[in-house]
Amino acid sequence: MARDTYLNKKSETARRGVLLLLFFAVFCLGLCVARIGYLTLVKGDVYKSKAEAQQLSVKTLNATRGTIYDSRMNVLAQSASVWLVYVNPSKINDENRQAVIDGMVNILGLDREEITAKLKANEKYGYLKVKGQIEYAEKTKLSSYISEHELGSVINIDPDTKRYYPNGDLASTVIGFTGSDGNGLYGIEYYYDDELTGTNGRIVTAKDGMQTELRNAFETTYDAVQGTNLVLTIDSEIQTILENALKTAIEENGASNVYGIVMDPQTGAVLAQANFPDYDPNDPYAIHDEATQKELDKIKNEEEKQAAVTEARFSQWKNKSISDFYEPGSVFKVFLVSGAMEEGVIDENTSYYCEGTINIADRTIKDYTPTGHGDETPKTLLVNSCNTFSVYVGQKMGVDLFYKYFDAFGFTEKTGIDLAGEGVPVANITYHSPEISFTTSDLASSSFGQTVSVTPLQIVTAVSAIGNGGKLMTPYIVAKKLDSAGNIISETKPTVKRQVISEKTASTVASYMEEVVNSGTGTNAYVAGYHVAGKTGTSEKLTSKDVVYLASFAGFAPREDPKVAVVIVIDEPSGANYSGGVIASPIAGEVIEKTLHYLGIEPSYSEEEMANMTASAPDVIGMSVTEAEREVRASKFNVRVLGKGDTVIDQVPEADRNTPVNGVIVLYTEESNYAEYAKVPDFTGLTMWQANQLAISCGLNLKISGGSYNGTDAVAYKQEYDVGEELYYGSFVTVYFAGKGSTGAADAEG
Amino acid sequence: MGSIKKYIKKQGGLWAVGPVDILFFVFLLAIITIGLVMLYSSTYPYAYYYEGKSSYYFTRQLQAVGLGFVAMVLISKINYKIFVDVGAHLGTLVSWGLLIVARLMPEYQGTHRWVYIGPIQMQPSDLAKLTLILTLAMWLDKYHSTVVSKKPMTSEFAKRINGFVGKPVMNDSVKIIAICGGIIACYAGLVLLGSHLSGTLLMLIVGVIMMVLGEVRWKWFVIGGTALIVLLVVAYEAGLLKDYMEQRIVAWRDKDYDPLGVRWQTNQALYAIGSGGLFGKGIGNSTQKYLYVSEPQNDMIFSIVVEELGFVGAALIILLFALLVWRGVVIGVNADSRYGALVAMGIVFQLAVQVILNIAVATDSVPNTGISLPFFSYGRTSMIMNMAAMGFVLSISRSARIKRR
Repeated sequence: MARDTYLNKKSETARRGVLLLLFFAVFCLGLCVARIGYLTLVKGDVYKSKAEAQQLSVKTLNATRGTIYDSRMNVLAQSASVWLVYVNPSKINDENRQAVIDGMVNILGLDREEITAKLKANEKYGYLKVKGQIEYAEKTKLSSYISEHELGSVINIDPDTKRYYPNGDLASTVIGFTGSDGNGLYGIEYYYDDELTGTNGRIVTAKDGMQTELRNAFETTYDAVQGTNLVLTIDSEIQTILENALKTAIEENGASNVYGIVMDPQTGAVLAQANFPDYDPNDPYAIHDEATQKELDKIKNEEEKQAAVTEARFSQWKNKSISDFYEPGSVFKVFLVSGAMEEGVIDENTSYYCEGTINIADRTIKDYTPTGHGDETPKTLLVNSCNTFSVYVGQKMGVDLFYKYFDAFGFTEKTGIDLAGEGVPVANITYHSPEISFTTSDLASSSFGQTVSVTPLQIVTAVSAIGNGGKLMTPYIVAKKLDSAGNIISETKPTVKRQVISEKTASTVASYMEEVVNSGTGTNAYVAGYHVAGKTGTSEKLTSKDVVYLASFAGFAPREDPKVAVVIVIDEPSGANYSGGVIASPIAGEVIEKTLHYLGIEPSYSEEEMANMTASAPDVIGMSVTEAEREVRASKFNVRVLGKGDTVIDQVPEADRNTPVNGVIVLYTEESNYAEYAKVPDFTGLTMWQANQLAISCGLNLKISGGSYNGTDAVAYKQEYDVGEELYYGSFVTVYFAGKGSTGAADAEG
Repeated sequence: MGSIKKYIKKQGGLWAVGPVDILFFVFLLAIITIGLVMLYSSTYPYAYYYEGKSSYYFTRQLQAVGLGFVAMVLISKINYKIFVDVGAHLGTLVSWGLLIVARLMPEYQGTHRWVYIGPIQMQPSDLAKLTLILTLAMWLDKYHSTVVSKKPMTSEFAKRINGFVGKPVMNDSVKIIAICGGIIACYAGLVLLGSHLSGTLLMLIVGVIMMVLGEVRWKWFVIGGTALIVLLVVAYEAGLLKDYMEQRIVAWRDKDYDPLGVRWQTNQALYAIGSGGLFGKGIGNSTQKYLYVSEPQNDMIFSIVVEELGFVGAALIILLFALLVWRGVVIGVNADSRYGALVAMGIVFQLAVQVILNIAVATDSVPNTGISLPFFSYGRTSMIMNMAAMGFVLSISRSARIKRR
């Protein structure tokens, strides 16, 4: 059949044309297939990951940072909810631009020009953080503004957290602070950062090209693991006592720095630790110390000033009581004596005659008293703080034995406290090591605490070892770790590092140290009834051009069964007094007294102290109220004024009456009402000390009958007036005491 | 009326006789179906976001397919030879007219490609593609003997040139080639007026295809090609190449160029294609269609198709297109007239060019030009015109003498 078709007309040109076009088309389609194959199979992963990267929207669920509590569960650091604001600049158009900017300026207080420029620069992007850490009030305002102006797709608010330190500067150098991204920078916040931080959770969702989340599409949530809560060994109350005392110390002595640590000598738990000048962790970059700020303000050169400010910041953040080394001076003698006695180099009866100087290796070492202390025993070595005797003891021990105890008391290593930035002792720099170089001369100066350096924490830990019967403890500051529900995750158990000296040696040295406070250089730390044992130290700082001093006191109380160990260091006092005995001891005494009082430790008075327990009430009738108050206080009584008059017309107890020290003297003024009465409380079962505290608080004076003042186990079993009876303020109430054994009998009688 | 009847009778009657080519029809239906499904899958997030209704594009495209189907069936029933003169003259007139009207219409997205008549809007270049084929087919068929003639021209001017060259370059075919070239240039020029660069390019390519099918001698392509290149260079030097065109070329060569601007669309398409892998994410599962790929309903639809159907799906779709082209060529070479052959092959090769260019753009193989993917991309004029064109091929297939093996 004849086929009259296009190609049947025998045209080679037509055939070639069609074939060419067909070939070309198929070839190109084939290339397309190849190209797609290349893109999907070879480059697929690259493009796929790029696509996923832009499609996934990952929202972080911030784990709440753990709370830091003191030992009584008072909050020291806590994270609270705040919010951060971000906008989606790609959703801003001419209609809503003004509203968005107005909101940012009026509610968040941002700079109009700055935010306008920022939004413009980011107009192609979907995320621009505008402001972080806004508080609830601001957030609420902004939320209603957003709904009012229908800006829900443009302005977004995300939850965030902020760290609060409710006690301001209290224990700031211990607690530390956090940076803008919530990470711990100093102190506990830094050392325990990982545990406090927890693990952030995530919500992973898909988002579309306009940065809007695809809500129904594959949302996966990974819950946040909340941070661990920490319970410190720090007690806010003791911390306050220490800080108040140290503030007095820095002000009165014009010192550059003061540090102090209060430790439980039985466990090594740090009860309080403070450094001044310090800072407020709520605003760590501000210079907290007014004097320092004034110094800084004087600097005119902007660059120098900036450098000085930076330095001041680092200085105020530092926990110098664990990081900075100082020469312990005479305080060190207690360790010398401890070691020497433990090794039998000396005993209680070793005698020495102090001439005021001693010659060692071409050097003459002088005592503070040029005439010498005369006949001495190890006890008087400490009481007199005798340098020459110390040198003599040191020489008798020799380099190796000396080093053995230097090492044993922990001065060649970090204490291992759970805080960052502890100073690391270095041989030949902070101490002499026989392995490197330890000359006789070195030994001589080391014997009374010169040419060796220690940290306050090392000293308080070592002193604790003498107090607790010879055990060197590992100090610690975190007592417990709690999960977010409050369950205990772990609890720190006191760790004995080693037995440094025997209980006997420890007890002997401790009794010498009590004598130092009772009658030696440390009398300013004396607290009646609390048996303070301690040692003072004064050292010259050789590093400075001027002669500057460093005064310190280290000790513990009560001596028999110490509850607190204290170290107080006053660095570069600028006043007339610079010795540890004069300026550091009273601070230590104050801290010890108040702390033991707070802890409810009962004083046990000696006969002599007993005699000092009462005093004659002064005669203040006829004086003006202010005058009378001063007079009464000066006589160590408490005062209570009744009525609003100006002149004292009567007083209870009457003048010259034997009244317990710290008792109450009630002053009646012209317009006072005799009808005001004190109610008699129930004293039954209380110890003498407790009963006295109660009486004072009720405005009454206690008269003790029976028992023994030293019998801490004696308790009240009977009282003169019935509970609730009304007496004039200042009246005496006789309370009868008996040892516990006899209380039962008394009860049977009653 | 009498003359019309005479004309119809002369062309062999109003109706086409014989069955349509079933293979071509099956391939076509498969492509249209897949295209519709993929259009819906690709556009629902985009439609929802911009039009408020996820089926916006799909329903409108479906209407076009309905209308197009009616047009296709109707045309396939009519004897295609009826259109020889009507298509060429009336078609060209209407096309040019509409292109001019489009130029006068207000600018839309920086171009003048659209004509709005009340609620109806259309893109004249879609009609122009078809009428250009019909027109050139008419000229090249009617004056075929002249096209292939080597008889030197008799004018003085032609004699001189022939004498100068030493060969009869100026022969009778020159006239007809000049006419065809003029027609192509007019079409291309008018489309270019609407700032429709890809449309212009398509007109030129269609012109070349038709000339090849019309057995125009190779030297004319060389001459034409050289002329075009010279023109392009001159235009470039004269700064007539528009900024955005130059930018697109730069963006094609430098893959890191302006990622949030000029290259955004291409990059997003590549991410989509790359995400597809061997078998794709499955139909409906594209994530790139969530407002990342811009114009997922149009030029970039194929990237979503690859993301969802993978390399295998994409290759199968391309294979379907290739089969359709092959079958169209088979119909063409067996058509009962040169005119039919030229029209059928012109239409399928034009289709092939569009498919190739669209995929090349989506795969970043050539600079980004806006060419839609036939039967996939959204566009009602283009859908109806494409189906009408298929009607022509089907009509031609009825009288084609395809050898059945």
